[in-house]
Amino acid sequence: MESFVATKLNEFEKGKISRRGLIESLTVAATTLYAGAANSAAADPALKVALVNHISFNCPDYQQTADWYSRIFNLAQTAPGDRDVNLPLGGEGEKPLGVTADDVPHPFLIMRTRDQNAPAANSGEVRRQPRAVIDHIGYTIADFDSARVRAELERQGITDVREDNEGSIHCTDVNDFRVQISGINMTAFAR
Amino acid sequence: MERFISDLVKEFESGKIDRRKFCETVALAAVVYAAGESAANAAPAEGFEVIAINHLSYRCPDYRVARDFYASVFGMEVAPGTDNGEQARLMFGPEPGSGGTYLVTRNGDTASTSRAFVDHVCYTIPNWNEENVNAALAARGFETTGRPGSLHINDPFDADVQFANSVEENGFR
Repeated sequence: MESFVATKLNEFEKGKISRRGLIESLTVAATTLYAGAANSAAADPALKVALVNHISFNCPDYQQTADWYSRIFNLAQTAPGDRDVNLPLGGEGEKPLGVTADDVPHPFLIMRTRDQNAPAANSGEVRRQPRAVIDHIGYTIADFDSARVRAELERQGITDVREDNEGSIHCTDVNDFRVQISGINMTAFAR
Repeated sequence: MERFISDLVKEFESGKIDRRKFCETVALAAVVYAAGESAANAAPAEGFEVIAINHLSYRCPDYRVARDFYASVFGMEVAPGTDNGEQARLMFGPEPGSGGTYLVTRNGDTASTSRAFVDHVCYTIPNWNEENVNAALAARGFETTGRPGSLHINDPFDADVQFANSVEENGFR
């Protein structure tokens, strides 16, 4: 909450939001905080998540997809299999940004090509068809500068680069999956 | 720096960059290195250095159902002021602006034009205690698949959710 208030105050001081906007946002925050806290309080601590462990992409050509992400985000490829490969967001044994625990590793992407209608390896059962979709993923990069990001993406031949009003950059990957790129300052409170 | 140079050499060897580009890049990296290795790591010659998953955007028929599920089961916190009746943002992990991640649950069409899709997301649970994890799942009546240290459940919209400890789910193995 303190972080949110500080962010809003900063926006107000810089003229990004009006006094009325400041008051409204802080009022909404103050009145919804309890609901959020109540939801969190219901969670069992044994299941409280600390970070994304991995994101599994199923795609027609996993190697082509992995190469795209390696090229754009400078990611190494590890543990290659016949139909999949991992792309960790950091080095082995390194701690992710903001993490002090020893048992929370860097997230990694898995690029794989597999029959989604085949029985799952971990259960032997056919996977259910989800009624939800991850429609894009946002990545935080070091030293974000929207002009530099745009220029680099275009230099790499990506043609659908666009900037949004949050100061982040959007494009699509080699499979037309949406990718959003931003800096460390883009948080859940960003507008 | 070593990793950077190693990658550069690999690109040179594979013909992705020519000798001139290689030399220019190494020279530039050396200059940057003089100003501090962290700066060199933060500014690769090509592409970007990704330092965190910023957020995941989850589209579904009723964002409130997903919001309540991820908050109540996995302890994600609704960011104050972000629930606008159409979507909500749920924070987890490090502090916002310090490596924290958030999940956006939003209403909307779940059709996709992409040739790729996310078939599951796995979350790390620290201090994994098999007994406590199983007790928490049993108390909620979840049917799980997987193995000790790495389990799957389906969320309210049948999306596969995995959660694991760092031993069972490690990007380097």
